[in-house]
Amino acid sequence: MKNTSNILLSGIVVFSMIFSSCSEGLDDIDGNPRNITQEQLEVDFQNVGSLYKPMFENIYQYTPPWSFQLQQNLNADVFSGYMTNPRPFVAGANNTTYNLVSGWNNFIWSVPYSNVMNNAKTIENETKDEFPELFAVSQILKVTAMHRVSDVFGPIVYTKFGESATTSEYDSQQEAYNAFFSDLEEAIQILSDNIDSPRFTAFDLSYGGNYENWIKYANALRLRLAIRISKVDPTTAKMEGEKSLNHPNGVIETNADSFFVNGTLDHPVKTINNSWGDIRMNASMESILVGYEDPRVDSYFDSSEVTEGEFKGIRNGLSLLPGYDDELAQKADYIDFSLLADDVLTPRVQLMTAAEVFFLKAEAALRGWSGAGTAQANYEQGITTSFQQYSLGGSSDYITNAILTPKDYVDPVTPTNNIAALSTITIAWDEAATNEEKLERIITQKWIAMFPEGQEAWSEYRRTGYPKIFPVVSNQSGGVVDTDLQIRRIPFVDSELQTNPDGVADAVNKLGGSDNAGTRLWWDVPGGNF
Amino acid sequence: MKKTILIFSAFLSLLIIQQVKAQEKTISGTVTSKGENPVPLPGVNVIVKGTTKGAQTDFDGKYTIEASLGDVLEFSYVGLTSASVTVGTSNTVDVAMEESLEQLEDVVVTALGIQKSRKSLTYAAQDINADELSKVRQTNPVNSLSGKVSGLVINRSSSGAGGSVKVTLRGNSSLGNNQPLYVVDGIPLSNPTGGQPIDTFGDINGGNKDGGDVLALINPDDIESLTVLKGASASALYGSAGLNGVILITTKKGRAGSFKVDFSSNVLVEDAAYYIDLNDNAESNIEDFFNTGVTSITSVSASGGTENAQTYFSYSNTFASGILPTNDLKQHTINIRETATFFDGALTANASVLATTQTIDNRPVSGLYFNPLVGAYNFDSPGERLSDYENFEQLDPDRNIQSQRWFRATSDIEQNPYWILNRNASEDMNRKLLASMNLKFRISDWLSVQTRGTYDQSFLSYDKQVFATTEATLAPANGRYIFNEQDIRQIYGDVIVNINKQYNKISLSANVGATTTRNTVEILNADSGTNGGLQFANVFSIQNFNANPGVSFSQTSLEKKVNSIFGSATVGFDEKVFIDLTARNDWSSSLPSSNNSYFYPSVGVTGIISEIFDIGDVLFGKIRASYAEVGNDVPANTVFPERQILFGGGLSPLDPVRPLGEVRPEQQESFEIGTEWRFFQDRFGFDVGYYRTNTIDQYFQVAVSTGAGSVTVGVNSGDIVNEGFEASVFVVPVQTENFKWTSNINFAANDNEVEKISNPSDEVQIDNQVISPPGVNTFASYLVEGGSYGDIYAQVVKRDADGRPVVEGGAIVINDQNPENTIAGLEKVGNANPDFALGWNNSITYKNINIDFLIDGRFGGETISMTEAIVEGLSNNTARETENAAIEVVNEAGEVSTLTAQEYYGLAGGRNGFTGEYVYSATNIRLAELAVGYNFKLSESSFFRNIKASLIGNNLFFFYKDAPHDPNVSLSTGNALQGVDILGLPSTRSWGLNINLSF
Repeated sequence: MKNTSNILLSGIVVFSMIFSSCSEGLDDIDGNPRNITQEQLEVDFQNVGSLYKPMFENIYQYTPPWSFQLQQNLNADVFSGYMTNPRPFVAGANNTTYNLVSGWNNFIWSVPYSNVMNNAKTIENETKDEFPELFAVSQILKVTAMHRVSDVFGPIVYTKFGESATTSEYDSQQEAYNAFFSDLEEAIQILSDNIDSPRFTAFDLSYGGNYENWIKYANALRLRLAIRISKVDPTTAKMEGEKSLNHPNGVIETNADSFFVNGTLDHPVKTINNSWGDIRMNASMESILVGYEDPRVDSYFDSSEVTEGEFKGIRNGLSLLPGYDDELAQKADYIDFSLLADDVLTPRVQLMTAAEVFFLKAEAALRGWSGAGTAQANYEQGITTSFQQYSLGGSSDYITNAILTPKDYVDPVTPTNNIAALSTITIAWDEAATNEEKLERIITQKWIAMFPEGQEAWSEYRRTGYPKIFPVVSNQSGGVVDTDLQIRRIPFVDSELQTNPDGVADAVNKLGGSDNAGTRLWWDVPGGNF
Repeated sequence: MKKTILIFSAFLSLLIIQQVKAQEKTISGTVTSKGENPVPLPGVNVIVKGTTKGAQTDFDGKYTIEASLGDVLEFSYVGLTSASVTVGTSNTVDVAMEESLEQLEDVVVTALGIQKSRKSLTYAAQDINADELSKVRQTNPVNSLSGKVSGLVINRSSSGAGGSVKVTLRGNSSLGNNQPLYVVDGIPLSNPTGGQPIDTFGDINGGNKDGGDVLALINPDDIESLTVLKGASASALYGSAGLNGVILITTKKGRAGSFKVDFSSNVLVEDAAYYIDLNDNAESNIEDFFNTGVTSITSVSASGGTENAQTYFSYSNTFASGILPTNDLKQHTINIRETATFFDGALTANASVLATTQTIDNRPVSGLYFNPLVGAYNFDSPGERLSDYENFEQLDPDRNIQSQRWFRATSDIEQNPYWILNRNASEDMNRKLLASMNLKFRISDWLSVQTRGTYDQSFLSYDKQVFATTEATLAPANGRYIFNEQDIRQIYGDVIVNINKQYNKISLSANVGATTTRNTVEILNADSGTNGGLQFANVFSIQNFNANPGVSFSQTSLEKKVNSIFGSATVGFDEKVFIDLTARNDWSSSLPSSNNSYFYPSVGVTGIISEIFDIGDVLFGKIRASYAEVGNDVPANTVFPERQILFGGGLSPLDPVRPLGEVRPEQQESFEIGTEWRFFQDRFGFDVGYYRTNTIDQYFQVAVSTGAGSVTVGVNSGDIVNEGFEASVFVVPVQTENFKWTSNINFAANDNEVEKISNPSDEVQIDNQVISPPGVNTFASYLVEGGSYGDIYAQVVKRDADGRPVVEGGAIVINDQNPENTIAGLEKVGNANPDFALGWNNSITYKNINIDFLIDGRFGGETISMTEAIVEGLSNNTARETENAAIEVVNEAGEVSTLTAQEYYGLAGGRNGFTGEYVYSATNIRLAELAVGYNFKLSESSFFRNIKASLIGNNLFFFYKDAPHDPNVSLSTGNALQGVDILGLPSTRSWGLNINLSF
């Protein structure tokens, strides 16, 4: 029995040893040493510096291409009349026929929030006081990305971003635009005060760290946003626009100063267009470019195989057409229409060109803003600058052509898709024309010049109604979207409806209409433009 | 911790007491079976009662042992009634042993290898002996359990030989792991599943691949018996790893005195049997496309030894060629086990090494990407045969390269199937090493200490070579190379003190111990990607990757350590009532240090009614009840993951998940009661039980508003209840000298309910948790409050009052009449899990012939055939599209029109179409196994000890089945993609021949 007690006693001693050591040494185990810790990230200030590249590359998402396809290519790039998908995805029941696929729309929202808005918030926290110029550039990128999101949905989470751990409150579109203006104003001021700081050079994918260029771009962006609200809030528009037009650094005026993101990967549309065969020329593009005998058509598109040697676009909003059992059979026929050309699909992603700025100034002149110059001079300079962008000659003949108009569209595969041109607008400036006609001319040329950036083109189409692009062939919105007025916005996304229902309910109030694709945004005012 | 165990072991070895006895003499004798034709029994254990001295009978049933006058010799052998004889003056003791009728006295292996008498168990445990596993051979032995254990649901993966198996005991409860723990000879195995499909598309990085599991790497012939511990009470001692039940595997070991060689050979042929209803043309193409699969499994084992040292050695190999052309598997397994006793049996040492290599070419994938079945099912080129494209490439003179041939433009999901098999080929190489050591000290007749250690390493590699001209979504112009290696190691150590004491009528069996488990995972992944690409076409090496951020390289190292102490005690009162108590405390490195310790107890009681009361014909009757709590940690690097570095791409854009408040251990509470009865000379008996399990405070990763500045937060929440009823009944309707029929019925019903997803007090309130994300397709599975685990969601067609589909503007309209059961446009259409399962297993023996058959039924549940949807979306190859009947549809205004079936299903089909049109009942009843065997009568002088041959059949036919596919086949053995078939490899019918020789 004594033995027994000894054993039990020893056992107890041993177990108390074990017990005390059980919790030791567990703290440092969890984690993946192949990843980076906050401490490691702070070396070389990468905790800030590394955040810019994703911001640049996700305003218009570089990679993966399928994600960009949903962010913009099967949405704004099609709604703008630039491109069309030869394959009627989901048996034709998809966004392009206004039968909205909620799984697609999430990308329009989540890509910029995850990659731009989040990063801008971190940069703001880390740099605003110490390195304000780094904060200023981040603010310009943030406005660049988020005005696009607002132009799709209307109300967005902007001024109150990151205030709660789980939910968020939306700004009305007006509040958001006012915040864009004040953020740009602040950024321009900071950069002007720190014009020689070299700190951003290493992280700059656009201007090599040159803040003068950044100020010009910020001014041009402010002008774009001011023009956008010129119908709904002319006073603010004029005030903000004139700030840019009269700023000592000015706006973008040469192609060298245009705002491109110099990415390191292929243009996402190149993969979608060349490798996947999922996007082609839009019928509206064919009608206008071919009708105008516009030499840019060669820079933008390849001639088609379906009508050998000719440029052929596809009507947007194609359902699964009669005679086709499935999507692939239909695609097999439409894949032979015109591809986008490699010239516009370089790794430099175009976000704002000098040509666009001239057209903005032309419209500003029409609206009587000071510092804009004359509408005609800006209009013609816009066209010339766009031709120069593609190293094309002959712009002077083109500018004076008062005969050519958009041409009727013929579908060589499905004749029921044929449609007559919707406009007879010509190229040459007519000073005697009405403001409305002048605006149609300006916006039509701006539309051509901005290709292939469909987001801005779709926004301007909604604001002005120009150019007159063809309506969808099949409208499956169940009456929500008027075929002739075309799609006005995208409904709030499922991820928000699920995670932030109260926030979305409030956003719908701020939208001022039903949360559907037929509701006009705040700056989208019906009626004439003047 | 490890050091502590070592010190403890050394310390205990000093305590061993040499016992001295006087006046011993040598006793010898022969042990035979009782009956008309007694045969010598080898391997019978002989011990001197109250001492540690023991011996085993040899091949001729002979033994010798040292004993003193008046000592009691105890003879024991599995399946026989133990005998004891008091040593008298004679030096010879011969014994005839009787077959045990009362197997109830069986010792069962319970948690941690602790042996307990069956009647003292306070929870449900079900045994399967080796025969049941090897009768109708499966490459993965766990597949043989279907229908044979109540409450256990087997879903085999659709990835053919070497594929993993999804085992669910008493329902699903966790968003993490729902698979049971596998324990071999008391030691928990690491079961890396090597990744499982979660997405309907299939992984663009190689297709939806099944990473296999550990059981596929074990030779079924090495298994002696298998015990299933179903509930938390049974497995509480294993801690969180045993949360979902435990499958205990006892392997064979050598026996003293006999030398035995067993040889078995199995050949199985299988054919694709259960797939969608195609038109004649497509059907004949598919029949040509699939091969007849052949599997051959050969194993040989040798065992033997002396009284003090025994050896078991086995080698087996499996060669299988699947029904999918080019798919084959080669596997070699060796297993060596040494058992030795020292110091007159006071120390028993056991060491074993298991090594396996497995190579699988073109393991079948499911889902849409890289799946040859998409092209095979949809081939409809007029005037051509699919086999015309067996010649899958042709010279492209522009590139001077062999390029893919197909009758139409390829798409992301459709390519020439032969091209996929030959030019998108993959190879899996899996190696496993399991080395373990076990020392057991018998300090006295009531006290022993054992310590064990295991090194368990799995090394999995995957290589996929995608040739140029593969469809552009999957690979860039020069092709693509994917290379992945995973090195998974588990080091396990434990020390357990066992106490067995009898105080008058009170017995005590108790254990205290400590364990430590350290898991390490190292992953290397290299993929030239869908955008990055290769420098030179069709050269598959890492140095050929393009240097751009489109390629991905990543290394991952994860580690987790769990330390535990535990104790258990079973107190018996007069062998009539037993009370069982366990307690365990774990410390886990994956939880924050402030909260990394968690304690959990269990309590159980059982009363042997038949011993307390005298009830006529009742041989045995007992009732049992138990309650257990089990804590759980989270996987490594879950709580505070770092941001990832992306190759050439800076940092991952998102802030990783962060806990919202304090992280607590997860918890499961379970209660079960049951009763077990045997009557009429053990010719009838049953075991029924009821259980209820609440899994609470799971660590959910919850999506939050994008505008919150983060995408997910972690929060402990939820309450998932599984409640069920299990019954197993056995009956021996006929038993004569030459004829015996034994019948077993296993029944189980499980009802799952998600009582809560969010606690009302949580800062974030959520409606659902995603199990299978829909992505841009139209199949999903969500956990929703009030719903059940496994609920499936599909896009449903709106119908008018007469059930006619609503079609407007050339498109089918989505149903909007059921918003409370709709999430993001997808409506709940069923549940993947059966309401109840019924297995009927029969064994009939007539003289030398035995016939075994198993009827396996599952009732209730739904399944979606996305395969059919895809085929109707991409071709007109289904039978109903070919028949092309008119379908009446209406528009929103109620105007009736007709569409042809081709038009209608063309609109409804596709991966993102109206999956609600493809919902079937998952109820099915099948003849799962049939074996007809013959035992050759051998003369005494025969070289062979035993020869047995049997003809076996597997999955022979369905008595009832609604779905076009086999609903028991699952695309993933993880949690996702249950209740849907997305071009999974069809289930097969197989026939085979089984030969066993022993000599």
